[in-house]
Amino acid sequence: MITIIDYGLGNIRAFVNVYERLNIKTKIARVGEDIKDATKIILPGVGAFDYAMSQLNASGMRDELEKQVLENKVPVVGICVGMQILAKSSDEGKLPGLGWIDGDVKLFDTDKIPYKTRLPHMGWNSISPVKDNLLLDGFDNESRFYFLHSYYFVCNKQEEVISTTEYGITYASAVNCDNIYGIQFHPEKSHSNGIQLLHNFAKI
Amino acid sequence: MLYPRIIPCLLVHNKGLVKTTKFKDPKYVGDPINAVKIFNEKEVDELIVVDIDASREGREPDYKMIENLAIECRMPFCYGGGIKTVEQAQKIFSLGVEKIAISSIAIENPDIVSKLAERVGNQSVVVVLDIKKKIFGGKYELYTLNGTKATGIDPVSFAIKMQSLGAGEIVVNSIDHEGVMKGYDMNIINNIRDVVNIPLTVMGGAGTMDDIGDVIQQHGIIGVAAGSLFVFKGKFRAVLINYPTNVEKSILLSKYFLNR
Amino acid sequence: MQSTKYQICTKCVMDTSDANIAFDTTNGTCDHCYDFKNHVESSWQTGYKGKKALKIIIDNIKKNGKNKEFDCILGISGGVDSSFLLHMAIKEFGLRPLVFHVDGGWNSELAVHNINVMINKLGLDLYTEVINWEEMKDLQLAFFKSGVPHLDIPQDHAFIATLYHFAEKHKIKYILNGGNFSTECVQHPMQWIYYGTDMVQIKDIIKKYGSVKMHTYPFSSIYWHKIYLRYIKGVEVIKPLNYIPYIKNDAIEFLKKEYNWKPYSIKHGESIFTRFYESYWLPERFGYDTRRIYFSSLILTGQMTRENALKELMKPAYNPDTINDEFNYIATKLGITPEELRQYFNMPKKYYWDYKNQQNIFRMGARVLNLLGVEKVKKRQK
Repeated sequence: MITIIDYGLGNIRAFVNVYERLNIKTKIARVGEDIKDATKIILPGVGAFDYAMSQLNASGMRDELEKQVLENKVPVVGICVGMQILAKSSDEGKLPGLGWIDGDVKLFDTDKIPYKTRLPHMGWNSISPVKDNLLLDGFDNESRFYFLHSYYFVCNKQEEVISTTEYGITYASAVNCDNIYGIQFHPEKSHSNGIQLLHNFAKI
Repeated sequence: MLYPRIIPCLLVHNKGLVKTTKFKDPKYVGDPINAVKIFNEKEVDELIVVDIDASREGREPDYKMIENLAIECRMPFCYGGGIKTVEQAQKIFSLGVEKIAISSIAIENPDIVSKLAERVGNQSVVVVLDIKKKIFGGKYELYTLNGTKATGIDPVSFAIKMQSLGAGEIVVNSIDHEGVMKGYDMNIINNIRDVVNIPLTVMGGAGTMDDIGDVIQQHGIIGVAAGSLFVFKGKFRAVLINYPTNVEKSILLSKYFLNR
Repeated sequence: MQSTKYQICTKCVMDTSDANIAFDTTNGTCDHCYDFKNHVESSWQTGYKGKKALKIIIDNIKKNGKNKEFDCILGISGGVDSSFLLHMAIKEFGLRPLVFHVDGGWNSELAVHNINVMINKLGLDLYTEVINWEEMKDLQLAFFKSGVPHLDIPQDHAFIATLYHFAEKHKIKYILNGGNFSTECVQHPMQWIYYGTDMVQIKDIIKKYGSVKMHTYPFSSIYWHKIYLRYIKGVEVIKPLNYIPYIKNDAIEFLKKEYNWKPYSIKHGESIFTRFYESYWLPERFGYDTRRIYFSSLILTGQMTRENALKELMKPAYNPDTINDEFNYIATKLGITPEELRQYFNMPKKYYWDYKNQQNIFRMGARVLNLLGVEKVKKRQK
C-alpha cells in the first residue's frame, strides 16, 4: 500500500486525490504502526528544514520509517522539503537531516539569479533527466513541473543526481540512491506530468 | 528555464462566481466547482479564488466550498476571503490549499502576517493590495473590505512593510482597471515592483493576451492574473472559460519573455 | 408492462428494454425499423433533391433576414452536430445566425474548448445564458428524488426555453437545429426519456421535491413555443443536416482538421452530467442503454454494422476506471454525499406516469403533426 507520511506538513490531500483518480489505494501514516505494511512511502513537505525535522522527530514515526527504508528497502520519495531532509544538513537550519542521501542543502546564490525576484524559486520550470530512471520515465528536457523553494540539494555523489534544473545555476531537481528518491518540485501540483510521475513511482 | 505565471482569478459571491467591473455590478458567471474543474483540465499555472463577501460580512470562509475546489486542483491553489486568524489559515491549508491570501486583516492588524508566516511558512502567505487612484492628486491609495472603504494608506510603503513582516507574495490589484479590459495599470505595478523583491502577481485590466505579454515584457518573472479575460468572450460578454493552450503560451512567451 | 421474454431486433439492436417495442413475427425486425423504412427513408432526400430543397429554405431565411441583425438562430453545445451545423451555416450557406450557448453548470473542458475554437476561427460573437446554479442544482436534485428516469429534463428544458426566448427577443423566425436522421432516426422510448417541455410534470416534481424558488431558471410551455411561436408567429425549425449526406465520422474528421476540434470519447461528452446520466445512471439503474438507440440509427443509415454494435454493447457504457470519480463529482457538485446519491440510485423506480403530466396533449399534437406530414418520425406514444 502506498503510504503517505503525515508529519504535519505538505498537502497530503493532494497526493490522496491523485492516486484515487488513478484507482491506486493509499494510506496515511500518523504513527509508526501505520508504516509497517508500506510497499511505497511518500514523504511530502512544505516549509522550513528545522521545522520539518523536528516534526518528523516528534511524530514518533522516525524509527519505523528508517527501518522500512534502510533495512527493508521500501521505495521512498521525499518531496520538496521532504527531499531536503534526506540530506545530512541544510544551510536553512541547525538540526541534522536524515542523512539517507550523501549531500547537503544550500541556499541559492542570489547573485547568480537574473531576476528581480530571486527567492523563492517559484513557478513552472523544466527538468533535464540526466540518466534513465524509472521515476522519470517518459519525461524529457521539455517536461515542466511546479517549484517553490529557496534552498537546493547538493549531491556529493554525482551519479545520484537523476535530473537537473536551471535557476541561476544548474542544480539537482531529483536524486536517487537505491530505493531512496528525492524530488525538489511538487508532482501533486504539476498537472499531468505530476500525475505521470506519481504513477511511475507507484509502479517502481 | 523558469517562466512567468499566468493565473486565472475567480470571485465568489453568494456561492456563485461573479465578475465585477471596478469592484461593482457583479455579473453572474456560474458554478465555482465546474469552472475550477475546467481550469484544472486546461492545466493553468495557478488559480486564485476570492470570496468577495466574507470579510465585509464578517463571516467565516466557506470551508466546504474551499475543500470541494481544492480537490479539483492539480496546480497551486490560492484562496482569499474572510481569513482573520492563524487557526482559520491552518484549517484552510489542511483542506488542500497551497496559499492563503489576506487583504483587510493585513491592514487592520499587520502583525498577523508574521504570525502566519511563522506558522505556515512565508511562501504560503499572500497579501493582496486593492488599489485605487485618488480623485484629486492622482496618488494611489489602498482600499479595504472589497473596495468599499478607503484607508488613506500608500500602497508602495505598505508593500515594503508587508515584505518585512514576512509576506511570501504580493498581489497588486487595480480597482480602477478591474473588469474594464483595457490593460493593466503599469504605473502602480512598476512602483511596487521597484521596492519589493518577493514574488509579485498583478491583477486588474487584462483585455487581451497582449496585455499580459506587456507585463511580462516589462518585468520578466512575475505572476499575471486575470479574471474577465479568462471568463468572457466577445462583445456580448458571453461566459466561456478560456485559457491559452500550450502552443499559444509558447508563442506568447517567445514574443514577450524569451526576447527580453 | 415489461415483456418477460428477452428479444432483440434482427436488423438493429433495439430490444425489450424498450418496454413497448413490437416485433415483426416473420423476420424479427422491430417497429423502429418499420418506422424508419416507411416514414423516414422515403422522404429523406440528401442528394440533388435535398440540395435543391435546402437552397430554397436558405434563400427564404436570407430574404426574411435582410436588414436584420441575425437571420436565424443556432444553439451550440460543443457537440458534433451543432458544431458541424455551425460550420455549414456560416461557410456553406452564408447565413448570419445568432449563436448561443446555454451553460447549465456541467460543461466539460472539451465542450468549452470546441466552442472556443469554432467561435474564434469563424469570427463570431457568442451569446450565453448561464443558468443560476443554485436553482439548477435544486431542480436536478428534485428529479433525482422523484425517482424517474428522465433526469436530464432540467438541462434540456433550459436549452429549449432559452432558444425560444432568444428567438422571440430578437424577432428571429428561423431556428437551425442540428437534429438529424443520420444518427437519430430511432427515437427514444418515452419511458426512458420523457418530453422535456411538459410543464405539468416539471411543476409537479418541483412541488413535491424542490426547495429553492426558481427566480431566473428559464421556463417554457408547449403552448408558448410549440403553438404560439410556431403556428401563430411562424417560427420555423429547420434541420439542415437532413438535406445533406451527413456521416458522423466524416464530420468529426473535418472539424478536427479545420478547427482543431476535439472529439468526445462518448456521446454527449459535452455535458459532464449527461455523460454520467446516459452512460451510467440510465443503464445501471433502469437497464436503459441509450447507445442502443444511437447504434440502431447508425445501423439503419449504414454507418455501423450490427456486429460492431453488438460488440460495443457488451462493454459497459461508462468507463470503469473513472466511474467512481465521476459518481463522487456528481454528488459533490449537487451538494450531497456519494451515499445520498447512491440512495437515489437504489430507490424504487418511478416513471413519468407516476406524476402529473400532460402527455395526452403531446400525443394529440404529435398525431396532428404526423397527419399533416410536418413530422416524419412517429413520436413514440408510449
